[in-house]
Amino acid sequence: MMKKQNPQFYEQVTSKLGGETLTKCFQCGTCASSCPVAKLTTRFNPRLVIKNAVAGEKERILVDGPIWLCCSCYNCQERCPQGVEIAEIMYALRNIALKEGHLPKAFIEMASNLMVEGRVVPTSAFTAKRREPLGLPPLKETGIEPLSKILSVTSFSKTVEKAKEVAK
Amino acid sequence: MKTRVGVFLSDCNGEISGILNFGELTSFAEKIPGVVYVRQNNEFCQEEGLKIIKDAIREKGLNRVVVSADEPVTCMVRIGKAVQEAGLNPYLAEVITLREHCARPHQNEPEKAARKAKAMLVAAVEKAKLSEPIDVLKYPVRKSSLVIGGGIAGIQVSMSLAEMGFPVHLVEREPFLGGIAARAVKFFPTDDCALCIGAPSCDLNGITKTSRKCLYRSGFSEIPNVNVLTNARVVGVKGGPGDYQVTVEKKMYPRFPHDYPSIRVVDEQFRKFATEEASKTYPTGQVQTKSETMTLDVGTIIVATGFEEFNPSVVEEYQYGMHPDVITQLELARILDPFGPTGGSLIRPSDRGQPKKIVMVQCVGSRDARWNAYCSSICCMIALKHALIIKEKYPDTDIQICYIDIRSWGRGHEDYYERAREAGVKFVKGRPTEIFEDTEMKKLIVDVEDALLGKFVELPADLVVLSTAFVPAKGTMELAKMLGLELDGDGFFKEYNAKVRPTETKLRGIYICGGATFPKDSPTTALHAGSAALKAAKFMASGEFVKDRRTAVIDTELCGDCEFCPVTCPYGAITMEKLENHIVARIDELKCEGCGICVGTCPLNAIDLRHAKESQILAQVEALTKKDGSMEQIVLAYCCAECGGTALDSAGTDSMEYPANVRVVKVPCTGVLKIHHFLEAFNMGADAVMVIGCKPDGCHYEEGSTRAKRKIELAKKLLESFGIEPSRLEMFHNVYVEGKEFAEEARMMNERAAVLGPLRREIV
Repeated sequence: MMKKQNPQFYEQVTSKLGGETLTKCFQCGTCASSCPVAKLTTRFNPRLVIKNAVAGEKERILVDGPIWLCCSCYNCQERCPQGVEIAEIMYALRNIALKEGHLPKAFIEMASNLMVEGRVVPTSAFTAKRREPLGLPPLKETGIEPLSKILSVTSFSKTVEKAKEVAK
Repeated sequence: MKTRVGVFLSDCNGEISGILNFGELTSFAEKIPGVVYVRQNNEFCQEEGLKIIKDAIREKGLNRVVVSADEPVTCMVRIGKAVQEAGLNPYLAEVITLREHCARPHQNEPEKAARKAKAMLVAAVEKAKLSEPIDVLKYPVRKSSLVIGGGIAGIQVSMSLAEMGFPVHLVEREPFLGGIAARAVKFFPTDDCALCIGAPSCDLNGITKTSRKCLYRSGFSEIPNVNVLTNARVVGVKGGPGDYQVTVEKKMYPRFPHDYPSIRVVDEQFRKFATEEASKTYPTGQVQTKSETMTLDVGTIIVATGFEEFNPSVVEEYQYGMHPDVITQLELARILDPFGPTGGSLIRPSDRGQPKKIVMVQCVGSRDARWNAYCSSICCMIALKHALIIKEKYPDTDIQICYIDIRSWGRGHEDYYERAREAGVKFVKGRPTEIFEDTEMKKLIVDVEDALLGKFVELPADLVVLSTAFVPAKGTMELAKMLGLELDGDGFFKEYNAKVRPTETKLRGIYICGGATFPKDSPTTALHAGSAALKAAKFMASGEFVKDRRTAVIDTELCGDCEFCPVTCPYGAITMEKLENHIVARIDELKCEGCGICVGTCPLNAIDLRHAKESQILAQVEALTKKDGSMEQIVLAYCCAECGGTALDSAGTDSMEYPANVRVVKVPCTGVLKIHHFLEAFNMGADAVMVIGCKPDGCHYEEGSTRAKRKIELAKKLLESFGIEPSRLEMFHNVYVEGKEFAEEARMMNERAAVLGPLRREIV
């Protein structure tokens, strides 16, 4: 199905912190060949993310979720001849996606864990037992209450709830 | 002597009398103090009208003339000439245009237009009364040139000047002439030798128009008037336009300069590719290092220092300088040259084997914000040219060109692109991220995304050729300092105007051409050289340089040695010098262009312009802001005589209406204005003041418009502290095509003044 283009989308990105350099891109592809993720999966190509963002293919970026695959190695940004801050743009796009409720399931799960347990990765009796032979100290209590307050004041919880709704 | 002003009002085919009461205007003009004669006619810029002016000057003993004519510039020239014929200095005539600046734009408010026309007449008469004769200065100009740089630009410019009869000294720092062309084998777009140049007419074997010759058989150094100095460099320049004393240091050689390249010297830059035999055949050390210093007296200097390859070793991911098989296009040209270090055989430097797979990488250091943001403009063509040369000689070589955009924009250039595709050259749309060595395969790998294939590819290569950027030649900055020339942001010599004066510099007598201003191909370089030669010849032709003294003058009594003006002068025309016991600014009238930016800068009012005196500006303001019993608000507009003024003209020419309450004083450049000009305008009766200058980056005097803007910002703060609304003062930037915008701004300021009401003048 053809997805609708949003010609003004680039303005939304360039007005975001980190997204300012989006329109400098002239599609030379240095970022793409620099990208370790792009070489493993066709689902992510920084050049194409930028191209789509400029062209206004908003859904392709936000809903299909390639932006979440960037591993933030900054190789692309280091070698870009036009000073496009590619990794920063990925953050800006992630922020836009999150605002609009588009968050991949894995991230929703991590966020939920954070809200419930105060940790991104859940702990279990099994993981606790594995720590000692590795010489690691036992995990401390996280003190969920102050964290919950922070998450609620920063409307983190609300955003995640919205994302959960959208994901359904 | 008492001033006797004659006023001449032209009706412009009834256009004025159709709107203004012409009779009333005439009788008004008669009553202006100082006016002794008023005459009206249909026109004053044709034969009949000009004769009336001339006769009146003679018969009525007029010593100042005010003419209202149409189309101000043409008329100004004609009237100036006529006035001169009648024995008056042309700068004693003041030309205004009631048609464009009053009747047409105010045709729907004739009463107000009439008041404005009267004010304009008074202003013009007052200005004329204060004007003084301006004489001309003549400077002798030596009829000889120095050309710096012996590449194709330098050769062509020398040849042209020599043929026009001007002795030329051509200084080249290398031991051979030809610059990059001497090393580039073949040139596009003709596919023939790079060193094939337009042949001089001294060829005794019958010159025809179709002739072009190899440099070595051109007899270049034998053309009368040409003095070739190779292995020489300019070490000092003294003097000024028309009379430079140039010190040149030349290393001595056993024989004559045109023997080159018959005296072999090793080109150290490319020595690394040479076979052992070649190294033996052409040993270094033949060059004697003893040097001789000479002084050359010339009238003009032409800079043709060209460009050189950017050193790509800073782009670390491409391995240049780390791996021997990563080379540049110019190095490849040397390898392909039958007279080059490899005798023309295509080798890869690491093992001298023949490369089967070649990858070229475009835009190395070009179009790259980290190194050179510009497109070097010729590298695409160089890559295509080299690919074709290789494909022709070694058809089984696999060539891939990694590109961002292929730019083959010139005549015949696209043909190279097409032929390259036909010859089987592959194009990969993508800029490689890095080049590395696969030690097992003993090959270089170019890691790139082919965007059109949508695929990541690792291209194996025996030889990688980097199409590097071209940057200003070594020593450009030192030479610029020596000559007092400016460089642009990329380090190339800055032209006087990038659009219309590409081979001139701010300094009269110094010209630039070829790659010294930006990377260029051969045809463009030839054009450039021709242009520079013509400009230099024009300057030298008459043997003297005539310039009227529409310049700034320093009142040494008032000058306080603050050294502001030398810094602000865009022409470097002001220096500080000791006068008796204090230091004062001195204007070099040869360099001064009369913009008045120094006037606007001087905190002690010690500088004035001969052609737009402070007293004249204020006299006009006074006349134009007088309310004469009317309750209407008055907006005073200071307009520069360049773009800002043309916006006013075009609004008038095209009858774009704006309020007659807007009165205009033209100044040479808005940079001449000081804060007191704004305050005085308010003091004298203006309710709002607007300033119209060129676009900030298009100011005819570079910084004037920007400086005016800054002063206005300051003046606004000052107004605020006086309790006056700062919005009464505004700066605008307009060009000729923006007459409509000017009219709009004038309306806006008029309305603003009406809304704010009359100014409480006692505060100022």
